[in-house]
Amino acid sequence: MTALQTRTPSSETGPRTVKRRRGRITAGTALVYFAAFFLAVLWLVPLLWALSTSFKTETEASLGQPIRWIPDEWSVEGYRVLFERGDHVMWMINSTLVSVIVTVLTLVLCVLAAYGFSRLDFPGKKVVYAVILAGIMVPQQALIIPMFDVVSALRMVDTYWGLALPQVVAPVMIFILKRFFDAIPRDYEEAARIDGAGHLRTLWSVILPLSGPILAAVGIFTFIGSWNNFLWPLLVANDPSIMTLPVGLGVVAGGYGLLYAQNMAAAVLGALPLLIVFMLFQKQIVKGVAGVGLK
Amino acid sequence: MPNHPSPPGPFSRRALLTGTAAAAGIGLAGCGSASEAFSDQTTVKQWNLLAGSDGAIMTSMHDQFMEETGTNLKATTFAWGTPFYTKLVMGASGGNAADVATIHLSRLESLSPATLLDAIELDELIDAGLDPEDFPPSIWERCFVDDRIYAVPIDTHALVNYYNRGICAEAGVLNADGTLLETHGVEEYFDLLRAVKDVTGEYGTSLDTNAGWRQFWAWYRQQDGEWTFHEDGFELDDDKAFNAIDTIYRMAEEGLCPRISDGGATAANFENGLGGLVQVGNWEITRFRAFSEANGLDFSMAEMPDFFGNRRTQGDCHSYVLPRHNSWNPEVRAATIEYVSWMLQHSFEWGAGAGHTPAYLPVTESAEYQELEPNAEYSGVVDNVQFDPKVWFAGSAARLPDEVAAVLAGVYAGNTDPEAALEGIKELAQTLVELPNPID
Amino acid sequence: MTTETETPAAAPTAEQPPPPAARAPRRRSWLGLWFVLPFAAVYAVFMLWPMLLGLYYSFTDKSLTGRPVSWIGLENWSEAFGDAKAWDSLWNTAWFTILSTPPLVVLGLAFALLAHRARKLGWFLRLSFFAPFVIPVSVVTMVWLWMYQPAGGLINHYLGEWGLGGDRLWAFQAESMGSVVITTVWWTLGFNFLLYLAALQTIPQEVYEAADIDGANAFQKLWGITLPLLGRTTALVVVLQLIASLRIFDQYYLMAGGASNLSPENVFIQYIYNSGFVGFRVGYASALSYILFFFILLVALVQFRLMSRRED
Repeated sequence: MTALQTRTPSSETGPRTVKRRRGRITAGTALVYFAAFFLAVLWLVPLLWALSTSFKTETEASLGQPIRWIPDEWSVEGYRVLFERGDHVMWMINSTLVSVIVTVLTLVLCVLAAYGFSRLDFPGKKVVYAVILAGIMVPQQALIIPMFDVVSALRMVDTYWGLALPQVVAPVMIFILKRFFDAIPRDYEEAARIDGAGHLRTLWSVILPLSGPILAAVGIFTFIGSWNNFLWPLLVANDPSIMTLPVGLGVVAGGYGLLYAQNMAAAVLGALPLLIVFMLFQKQIVKGVAGVGLK
Repeated sequence: MPNHPSPPGPFSRRALLTGTAAAAGIGLAGCGSASEAFSDQTTVKQWNLLAGSDGAIMTSMHDQFMEETGTNLKATTFAWGTPFYTKLVMGASGGNAADVATIHLSRLESLSPATLLDAIELDELIDAGLDPEDFPPSIWERCFVDDRIYAVPIDTHALVNYYNRGICAEAGVLNADGTLLETHGVEEYFDLLRAVKDVTGEYGTSLDTNAGWRQFWAWYRQQDGEWTFHEDGFELDDDKAFNAIDTIYRMAEEGLCPRISDGGATAANFENGLGGLVQVGNWEITRFRAFSEANGLDFSMAEMPDFFGNRRTQGDCHSYVLPRHNSWNPEVRAATIEYVSWMLQHSFEWGAGAGHTPAYLPVTESAEYQELEPNAEYSGVVDNVQFDPKVWFAGSAARLPDEVAAVLAGVYAGNTDPEAALEGIKELAQTLVELPNPID
Repeated sequence: MTTETETPAAAPTAEQPPPPAARAPRRRSWLGLWFVLPFAAVYAVFMLWPMLLGLYYSFTDKSLTGRPVSWIGLENWSEAFGDAKAWDSLWNTAWFTILSTPPLVVLGLAFALLAHRARKLGWFLRLSFFAPFVIPVSVVTMVWLWMYQPAGGLINHYLGEWGLGGDRLWAFQAESMGSVVITTVWWTLGFNFLLYLAALQTIPQEVYEAADIDGANAFQKLWGITLPLLGRTTALVVVLQLIASLRIFDQYYLMAGGASNLSPENVFIQYIYNSGFVGFRVGYASALSYILFFFILLVALVQFRLMSRRED
């Protein structure tokens, strides 16, 4: 968090900006703006092209047709077929369910554990904390083989729990939360404790209200990670009715074939949920991702 | 209805290994998918790999099945070959996946039936109206592993020979009744191809140069070649294998077939008349029919030509298996067997539409089927079909045919001579033999 | 982008010896364990146990089919060290890392510098550069495969139009790595971009004012002030990027043939996946996993050191 805590006193406004506008910077600034704008548009090309293709007829979308950014003939056939088949919607529901389970469980379990490590003393605490911290260095991708075996022995293959629980193991979140909790002065809690509040109550009514931003950051980071997770759901969701969106789109062949308009409609629909969320909550998400990422 | 317990060995051992973790999981395991929770119909989940044009026939049969029986059938098509088999095995090892799946019978043993599939009881089949007598014995025998039934075959499919009547008539290689001349031996057939090549100006026959295993195995088996595998090696008849590869080499060298042609191009070459014949699976019939309706293509089908004294051909059987279930819901189990039985009893459509030869004898022996064209013209494939070698890395889409085909693609392309190809094939077979066997 | 967070006392924190805790010596009791237990249980089942189990399996012939397991000692390990295909795939992973890390770090920084200067476009730039990061990988590969189509795809169309080669220049050549790298840069650049942007906003404006007085130009300020101040962020970004790149699987699997049929070229996780789940050899795949684990651990140790240094 250190990177984020010091707020720079002036950025948007201030006397210097005015000075700058009059001075020699204008040409440079214009160049910066031009380059930034150009790159931003370039970066959007794949998405715009997918959007454009998705509204074409299959004939116009097929290879060998001239490149047209605006469809000659607008068509929503691709989207219609997708909704009719229904599996796309099903996968989206599954993705939402799994991501919500993962996010809520991560928050609850990590907050409890971080509080325990930060505020309470118990036998073996140092060892447990060290073992969990060491987990930060373990790449879960390298564990897929035995992990599948464990989940299979628990009979959780092709269940939501099998999809979600292994993703809850995020020791880095405990590290982040504990450090945040450590920085909250104990004075706040003393008052509550004198009133006879137990630890859960203290956590709930003193610590959590002070932790809004960091909880949002952890939650957002976890949610995006889970929504876009591919490898683990690829292994554990074999039944199409339990697949998440990334896996279903990647694995089930059913009828996509070489129907590019339909294919791109699926892509657009697949990209849309988080894009919309991102546009609505850009500020919080940017803060959250940078906050957790910079740990 | 047996509520089939999973084989005791593997699970209890695994449960032991995972210790208390297993106990913790039991409470969480009963969590099905969201979509199932909203339906009170019996739902049967079927997985298949029929991504080709036969898939469309299957889908229309499924619609009819659901209408007639009221069972909700959820079929999923995975990409053909490895992706499908990987999903099948992982789902089965988890025990919560498909109720029924279509596989290639040649892959049955490589799927470790004892641990990954649920056996089918004879009584269940009889109750559902199926009788062992209703299947060709040679195929029925292959459905057993350790004396238990693990598969129910729906068809035989094989490499066949399609011919373009117009081109072949012009080349003078048709009989008076419009059927393809019967040839004997490689040279006679090559002469036929030369005549056709003169007409098309491009190839005699089209074929898939990426799938050379099928040709290799058909022609090797026409010479009575055997390929047996044992612990640390294999027996392959070098001369016969060489003859088969050399046939491939000379055919491509003379331009009687393409040097490079993938699945799509193979069919297209036939459709647009670059080749007067195409040697490909009977399942392409749906595609050629559709093309014929749209653009006019007068074609028929015959068995694999006689290259080495008979008309044996490479093929396989699509078969139903039941992936291992942690627990069977008796209703679902009954509906699953009913589905299998229904599909077999209606497999006339499967034969007429997708070109496969039904395995269910009451269908193939019916007068209606006997008159079906062009199926009647290649009905002999059932007796001539040759399954892949019996070893865990062989069978449709398994490593042996895939890797041999990769070598043979080089022969078609003219980059590899037959001697080198034979060496390459023997080398890769040795490598495969030396792999630790993960099945048993 | 304003980045205040309401941390009370932004002061240096953490485990310095006499924290407030010393004031109220806490009783050692088992209570704390109950707070930690839920996470610890999940952690034990889905992290520690698989690690131990994988290590055990690597000495056995454990098969996905679930047949009885027997101990085979070091056979898997010696096979893994002599398996040319495994080392090829490890090299492919390394090659991907070598190709993808520099552009992802350098462009991430460049885009952040631009966005930091062009503040009026802030919302639009953040949307455009970061949006791809929130898109699922299968959507990303679907869109890019469509653009990469050799004949008639968008990229080859424009390359042809601008006289840059056109047909079959990029995609599906024998070497598909380039395509995967470009797609990856587009997809994940936004993450590094955000980290740099956040870091840039912590540099106090006064530093530049001093340089202005000395008459420094924009480049001098960039080289002399900005980049040195971003040193630690860069170290962090590079390490995070290395770890992410070494884990390459998703895009490669979806783009380079893995999803359709066995492709002759693999990246390392794909080779593990194929050995274990396609070839059933869980024991062998476990041994391979530990080799990957070792390499990532090397990089992660560096990350861990960076992280703990921030504590001081």
